[in-house]
Amino acid sequence: MRLNTPDSLLYPITVTKLLRQPGDDIEQDAPLFTYEYKSSVTEYDEDTREDVERIRSFYADFESELEGSITSLNVQKGQVLNRRTFVAEIEEACKHEIQFGGLCTNCGKDMTTMQYNSTSKNTDRATVNTVHGHTQLLVSQAEASKADEEGKRRLLDTKKLSLVVDLDQTIIHATVEPTVGEWQNDPSNPNYDAVKDVRKFQLIDDGPVAKGCWYYIKLRPGLQRFLELISGCYELHIYTMGTRAYADNIVKIIDPDRKFFGQRILSRDESGSMTAKNLKRLFPVDTKMVVIIDDRGDVWQWSPNLVKVSPYDFFVGIGDINSSFLPKRPELEAKPPKLASADPTPADGSKPTPQEAAPKAAGDAPASTATNGDLSAVDRLVTMAGKQDEGSMKEKIEEQDEQITEQLENRPLLQKQKFLDAAEEEAKASPAVEAAVELLAEDGQEKDQELPHHKYRQNLLQDDDTELEYLAQSLGNIHQAYFDEYQRAKSGAKGGRIAELRPGHGKKRSVDEFEHIPDAAVIMASMKARVLQGVNLVFSGVVPLGVDIHSHDIAIWAKSFGASVSENISKRTTHVIASPDRRTAKVRQAAKKGGRIAIVTQGWLFACFTQWRKVSEHPFRIHSDAPLNGTAGLPDSFEGRDEGQLSSSDEEAALTEDERETRSNTPHSNGRLRLDTEAEELEKFAPSMERADSSPTEQESPDYWEDIKDELNDFLGSDAEDDSDSESAKSEGLKTPPSARKRKRGEVGGEGEEEEEVEGSKLQKRKKEALGRNSSLTQMVVPAEGGSMAAAAEATDPGGGGGGVGEDEGDDDLEAMLAAEMSRESDGEGA
Amino acid sequence: MFFVKTLEHRIDLHPSFFSASAPDFIKEKLYQDVEGTNTGTFMIIAVLQIDDISEPKIAPGTGFAQYNVGYRAMVWRPFRGEVVDGKVTNVVNNGFFADVGGLAVFVSKTMLPPSMKHNAEGSTPSWSEADGMIIERDSQVRLRIKGIRGELGQMYAIGSIREDYLGALLQ
Repeated sequence: MRLNTPDSLLYPITVTKLLRQPGDDIEQDAPLFTYEYKSSVTEYDEDTREDVERIRSFYADFESELEGSITSLNVQKGQVLNRRTFVAEIEEACKHEIQFGGLCTNCGKDMTTMQYNSTSKNTDRATVNTVHGHTQLLVSQAEASKADEEGKRRLLDTKKLSLVVDLDQTIIHATVEPTVGEWQNDPSNPNYDAVKDVRKFQLIDDGPVAKGCWYYIKLRPGLQRFLELISGCYELHIYTMGTRAYADNIVKIIDPDRKFFGQRILSRDESGSMTAKNLKRLFPVDTKMVVIIDDRGDVWQWSPNLVKVSPYDFFVGIGDINSSFLPKRPELEAKPPKLASADPTPADGSKPTPQEAAPKAAGDAPASTATNGDLSAVDRLVTMAGKQDEGSMKEKIEEQDEQITEQLENRPLLQKQKFLDAAEEEAKASPAVEAAVELLAEDGQEKDQELPHHKYRQNLLQDDDTELEYLAQSLGNIHQAYFDEYQRAKSGAKGGRIAELRPGHGKKRSVDEFEHIPDAAVIMASMKARVLQGVNLVFSGVVPLGVDIHSHDIAIWAKSFGASVSENISKRTTHVIASPDRRTAKVRQAAKKGGRIAIVTQGWLFACFTQWRKVSEHPFRIHSDAPLNGTAGLPDSFEGRDEGQLSSSDEEAALTEDERETRSNTPHSNGRLRLDTEAEELEKFAPSMERADSSPTEQESPDYWEDIKDELNDFLGSDAEDDSDSESAKSEGLKTPPSARKRKRGEVGGEGEEEEEVEGSKLQKRKKEALGRNSSLTQMVVPAEGGSMAAAAEATDPGGGGGGVGEDEGDDDLEAMLAAEMSRESDGEGA
Repeated sequence: MFFVKTLEHRIDLHPSFFSASAPDFIKEKLYQDVEGTNTGTFMIIAVLQIDDISEPKIAPGTGFAQYNVGYRAMVWRPFRGEVVDGKVTNVVNNGFFADVGGLAVFVSKTMLPPSMKHNAEGSTPSWSEADGMIIERDSQVRLRIKGIRGELGQMYAIGSIREDYLGALLQ
């Protein structure tokens, strides 16, 4: 190592005598040469009897801060040094390249001590953390690359890659909720089947609150097989944000013999960061042979090595118990695609009429998976909002403790199951619904196993995750592609082999060898980019307002799979990702373009992400009847008109013809028949469904109903009360399932389409829309009642009036409403 | 090496414990506070005897009573050059870690006999040599401490088994 004179010397200095020769050994702090320097000092002058400043010469020894043998000496006697100078090359006996806890592992010296002549800290010589379970063992960069090279050679020999595995919500789901334990001991509980194989352990000292509390661990279905499969082509590492004790206990469960993970476990105790995961912590030199699986992309800063898996959410609403350390999960997952329709009535507090609740429950009951999504979403949003306030002030650890206490005390799972049971009681009350349930239940899949046991008791927890199967496949594909590429690169580099074999090239060869290995990140990127190539996505009603779509998780994720994302529907748009319960302007606009644009749920995207291929859109299609409802004739939005109108008018005309055709195909029939066809439709979907939860069609109707209600309430104000009465009166009379009525209504409303003009404000439009729907519902009801009168007037007016100036129409509305109000008042007086 | 050492420890007692049984609380607290702790130079294994409990003083402004407790304790202090027995906790490619009581020792590969080779394959990584000495997780090893450094609450040491009669112990 080069020995320099320190900056702190009083330059210029003159070397007066060399005390050592090249080849000599030198100990630490032993003098290497003596030198002379000049400095001004204050001296007492005897003659003048006062203090004077004088320049004096001093002699001093230059002492070596390094220990070893001198290989070359760079100074001569008499040489003047003017600044920091390299004076000697010293070959050290120990370079202190590996240090443990501030000690050199080679010579046992304390590296933290500083000498008066030290110019650099000895601890700086080793800064790289390479070992999983310890932060105290540090190595130098050179040592790290050496180890890395060794590791790579070993991996290449065994044809393996490294795989970094996350625990929480990726391969397991953990909770501290004690209800799980109770369910496990109660075979009569509807959740017994799901939780009977949940494993548990106790952590004794893990924070003050969680002292000795039980952790319940659900393994993701197929985990054992997954690990066995994948350990054949990957060397597995665990990287978790849980504590060391937690990680060790999990590994005891998932890998009791430690044959998959060995000692390669990194917990937050050793991670070095509480908020982010860093591949450099495990692979400090390079990450060419590394693949990551995690349910969160943000903690990895969307590393190109990452295979993002969809989070495993078995204990609904619990989330990741170790996530208080991570940044808040972006809102995307707040509404898991598989759990769409839930009965939201108790959540929003509005009191439903029994008639209204009944069809809704009917929609719910057959889809046993569909019972918890909204609740957990609400729950999670509430907890998130609450936590963010506190989180800014309190320590993260406290936050986690709180979270755990909350789970222990509030028992969210128990509450949800209770609520679920209550909802079923309600559903049971109505015999018509019961019939519908049974009818529809026949084509569901899981209920077949579950219904026989407890016909009406739904279970909260579903054990139907298939992620790992697909994950194993895609990981296998990556491995395959990687080593194909490696073989190609290797045979390509063979030309220079003779040169390499020459003596003296041994070292160089090994370096070259590793330069040629392909980068897993690149290979994955190209594999992923093929998945959704040519797909142009527009998101609608999925991402919260005010969030830049391009920086949103789902968009980033989609882009990594080769899709392009735009904000508005254009000619290039191929897919619209929409929410099943809201029919937004974009959806309607897309629907007008007919089959060209597929309107699908997020589920489709997730299925593509999971399976690494473009899956069929069919089971995920939503709003396929969009043009058929009463709103189709209305303008979609202004942008739509501006852009697409002229060019696509022909297309549109053709399209409406098609629509008419489909309409004429659907028989104008009673509810019973309709129900049959719907069941048929469902059956058609059933076998093709990859994920049991993915059929949005059956969940659509209740939400749709909700929509109408909302809009009515919005625009008719107090009159809505009257409407709902009339509406419910009607539904009681007919007892048709909502979808049937919806179709019918759509047809009625559809008659007025096409002729309507594009005038009036957006509000006007929406009002018209609401009124139009209302009219179709309540036509036969006595038009003496509030809003329905106006609406009826609107409906009977076949667009001619609507085609007029918007203001006129507004006046009409006002007048009608006024009249309604007055008549109501007089009614009240009469009564 | 083990020593019996006279030590002193200050205990703050909350006013709610002021009663006839205060000395019992003090003793209880002493055992809790000091046993198993590491001062950076030695580790307190056990309190052998409580010599005296001083008259309490009320700490100004808090109301806590301060007791000075003198006690004799069994302590363990490792020295450089000492030969100790430990248990292997982790094997890595640079060497292995071992616990010697509360002391974490790292034995670097330069401190292993040159004949030992690292095997990363298989379920457990290990160091082994041809004649059958295997060092893996949970092996008992005898090693010589080459260097030692203490921080408050933690001690680190470097060990060596590159000598006769050191290394894995036969079980």
